[in-house]
Amino acid sequence: MEKTKKSTKRLATAKELNRVVTEFYLECHQAKAEGKPVGWMPPMNGAIELFYAMDLQPVFPENWSPVCAAFGLTPANFEVAEGMGYSQDLCGYLRNIVGFVHGMMGGDQVPLGGLPEPDLLVYASGGCIPAMKIFQIMEHRFPNAKVFRGDLPQVALEHIQPHHVEYAVHQMKQLIEFLTETTGRKLDYDRLADVVRLSDESCALWDEICTYRRHVPTPISAAEIGIMFVLVTRQGTQIAVDFLTKVRDELKERAENGVGIIEDERLRLFWDNIPLWYNMGLFNYFEKMGAVVVAETYSAAWSIRMDTSDPLKALAMKTLKSYPLVSCVSVETRKEMVLKACREYKIDGALLHSNKSCVPITLGQADIKRALEEELDIPSVVIDADHMDDRNFSPAQFQTRVDAFMEMLLEKKGLL
Amino acid sequence: MSSPTDFMSEFTRALEHPGELIDEISQSGKKAIGYFCTYTPVELIHATGAVPVRISGGPMRIDRADGLVPSFVCPYMRAGLERALSGDYENLFGLVQGYSCDVACGMFNVWKGNIPLSFYHILSLPYGDSSSAKLFFEQELKNLTERLADHGLEFSDTALSNSLDIYDDIRLTVLWLYDKRYKGELLLSAGDFYTVIRGVQVTPPERAEKLLSELVSSLKANTEKGSHTQDGTPILVSGSLVEDRSIFDLIERSGGRIVADDLCTGFRYFDPPSGDGKKAVHRLIERSIAHFPCPSRQLAKTRAPLLLDLARRSGARGVVFLIQKFCTPHLTDIPIVGRSLREEGVPYLVIEIEETGVMEGQAATRLQGFFEMIGD
Ligand code: SF4
Ligand code: SF4
Repeated sequence: MEKTKKSTKRLATAKELNRVVTEFYLECHQAKAEGKPVGWMPPMNGAIELFYAMDLQPVFPENWSPVCAAFGLTPANFEVAEGMGYSQDLCGYLRNIVGFVHGMMGGDQVPLGGLPEPDLLVYASGGCIPAMKIFQIMEHRFPNAKVFRGDLPQVALEHIQPHHVEYAVHQMKQLIEFLTETTGRKLDYDRLADVVRLSDESCALWDEICTYRRHVPTPISAAEIGIMFVLVTRQGTQIAVDFLTKVRDELKERAENGVGIIEDERLRLFWDNIPLWYNMGLFNYFEKMGAVVVAETYSAAWSIRMDTSDPLKALAMKTLKSYPLVSCVSVETRKEMVLKACREYKIDGALLHSNKSCVPITLGQADIKRALEEELDIPSVVIDADHMDDRNFSPAQFQTRVDAFMEMLLEKKGLL
Repeated sequence: MSSPTDFMSEFTRALEHPGELIDEISQSGKKAIGYFCTYTPVELIHATGAVPVRISGGPMRIDRADGLVPSFVCPYMRAGLERALSGDYENLFGLVQGYSCDVACGMFNVWKGNIPLSFYHILSLPYGDSSSAKLFFEQELKNLTERLADHGLEFSDTALSNSLDIYDDIRLTVLWLYDKRYKGELLLSAGDFYTVIRGVQVTPPERAEKLLSELVSSLKANTEKGSHTQDGTPILVSGSLVEDRSIFDLIERSGGRIVADDLCTGFRYFDPPSGDGKKAVHRLIERSIAHFPCPSRQLAKTRAPLLLDLARRSGARGVVFLIQKFCTPHLTDIPIVGRSLREEGVPYLVIEIEETGVMEGQAATRLQGFFEMIGD
C-alpha cells in the first residue's frame, strides 16, 4: 500500500470540496488585495465569528497544514523548519507552518496562492502548547502584524465554573476592543447575533449529519470528512449553512434509500485522533474487508451548540470548550464522547491513532481503550503514525496490524 | 552540627527513595500532596497542614508506564508514572498540578484514571499579569482551598502567611547559594549543589529549611579552604527538569563549570524569593506571576533577554541546553532563543535527556568540544 494517497469520495457534496476550498483561499487573497484586514488565528475559537461579524478576514495557518499535506508540500516545509533547528519531535502542524512561512510562502508555485500575509495575529494561550507557540513564532516572522495575545482558562468541561466563563467573556471583550482600535471597524451587535445564529445553525446541521451515521449501512464515512472544512473556516456564514444543508439533504436521501458508502457493509469502525492528512486514502483501505470508518472523535470539536441569546457568552463558551473536548484536558469527557459515539453508531471496533505529532490527543488513549473493552466489549487496535509526517508511518506495520484486527472482528461477529 | 555529608545523604535519600519519604510523612499523621511542576501553589497546600512533595521520576527503564502512555512524551513524566505504578506513591494523599504544559495536564489525567489517590486537582493559571488575570488566579486558588477543605484540609490566612515565610526563607537561602556560585565561592560540586536544591523540593519545608541553614553555616565556616568548583569554562545550563546528577558530574568532568542555570528543578523554582501584597494570597499571586518564566508560559523573545542577562551576571561564556526528550515548550523555543544568544556572542549546545539519562560517551565528546571552543 502507498504512504500517501487521496481518498475516494462517494458523496456528491464531498466532491465539491475542491471548489469550496479554492473559493475560501481566493476570498482570503481578495480581502488582502482590497485592504480588508487579514488576521491569522488558531482554529476552534470564537474569534472567527467576531471576524465575520466585523467584516474582517480570518485565516487559519493550522488548517493550511492539511492543505499542504494534500498537495504534497509538507516534506519541503519540514526541511526548512528542521533546517532552522525545529526538532523532528515537534507537532507536524508547527513544523509545517513554520517551514512554510520561512520558505515557499510568497513564491508563485504555491497552490491556491498560499496564505496572504497577516495584518493581525490573534491567539490565546490556552489551547495546546504547539498552537500557542506557532503564533509566537509568527510574531517573529511578521513583526509588523498587530498582536492580540489572549488568556484562556484551561479547564476540563466537567469543571467549568462561573469564574472561568467570566474570564473568557472578559477576554472576548478585550478582543473586540483590540479589533476596534486596530482596524477602526465597529462591532454591530445585531450583526454578531446573526453570525452566532448562523454558526449555531451549522453546528445543528453538523449534528444532524452525524445522526445519519446511525444508519446501517452508513451513508457517510470518515473518507468524506473534508466537508468539515466549512465548519473550520466558515463558521457563522451563510456559505457554511448552505453547504451543510446540501450535505444533509444528500445524506438523508441516501439513508432513506439505504445507500451505503460501500455495498456490503460488514464491519463498522471508529477512528480516534486526527487523520493522516497525507493519506486520506487510508480510510478506504478497510473497505477490502467490508469495513467502513463510520465516525471519528476529531470532528466533535468543531460542532458546539450555542446559547444564541447571549452571543458574546456563547462565543466565549465555544472557545472554552472546543480544545478540551478532544484533548487530554478532559480525558473523562473524551472517553464519554467516544463511548457514546461507539454505542450510537453501532461500532464493532476502534482504530486508535497514536499520533506522534499530537501528544494532547494521544495522551489518555489507553484509558479510552480500556473503557471500550470493559464497558462496551469493543476491541481496538493502536495505529502508530503521525497526522502530518509520513516518516512516522509504516504502511507495512499498519497493514499487518489492521488486517489481523479486522479478521478478528469478523470472527467475533461470526462472519468468517 | 552535621557535616555536609549528612545533608547530602538525607537529600539523596529523599530523591532516590521518594516512596519512603512519603510513607514517613503519612505515618506522622500528615497528608503528602504531590505535584509535577513549579507552577503549583505549594505554599497554599502547605498552609492546610499537608506536605507538598515534588514528584520524582529519575533515570530508569520504563516498563509499565508504556502500557498507558506513548513513548513520545518526556522521560520525566513517564518515569514518574512508572514509580506510581510500582507503588512508590501509594501513600500519597493527592496530586495537585497547575496546567503548565500539555504533558503535565495529560499525565495528571492518566494518574487520575490509574493511580487511586484521594485527591486530584488541576488549576488553570493565567498567562498575563493584568488585574483581571490576577483576579482570575485568586478565584482558582479559592476553588482549590474549597476543594481541599472538603477533604479536611482547612486553610487560613495566617497559616498561609506562615507558610509563605518558610518558603520565602528557603528560596532566599538557595538564592544566596546561587550568588556564591556566580562568584565562584561555593564549595559544592555541581552534582552536590543540585542534589541539595532538588532535595529541598522533595523534603518537608520545615526540615529543608533547617538542613539548609546548617549547610550555610558549614559553608561559611569552610569558605577559607577554597573551592574545587573554580576550574573549568563557566557556563549556564538551561532546560526543563534534570534529575540525574551524573549529567552535572559529566559537565564538570568534561571541562565545564556551571555558574548559573535556568532549570525547572533549579533557579526557576526559587526565583523570585517572594512576592509583595497586603493579603497573604496576594503575596503568592505576585510571586507566581513574577516567576522566572518557563517556555510553556512565555514567549521565546521574552525569555531570550532574561537568559542573556543571567549569562552576563554569572559570567557564563556559553549555554548548554539540557532538554528532556520530546519536551515541546523547550524544544520549540531553541531556534529563536539560540539565535538571540548567538547574535550576542553566546554560543550554545543542545543535549537531550533520554529515559535512561544522557548517552555518556557521546555527550562527553560534544561537551568537551564545546568547552574547548568557548574556553580561553
Ligand atoms: S492539538 Fe495536537 S495537532 Fe493541534 S496543534 Fe496541538 S499538538 Fe498540534
Ligand atoms: S515542560 Fe517539558 S519536561 Fe516539563 S512536563 Fe512539560 S514536556 Fe515534560
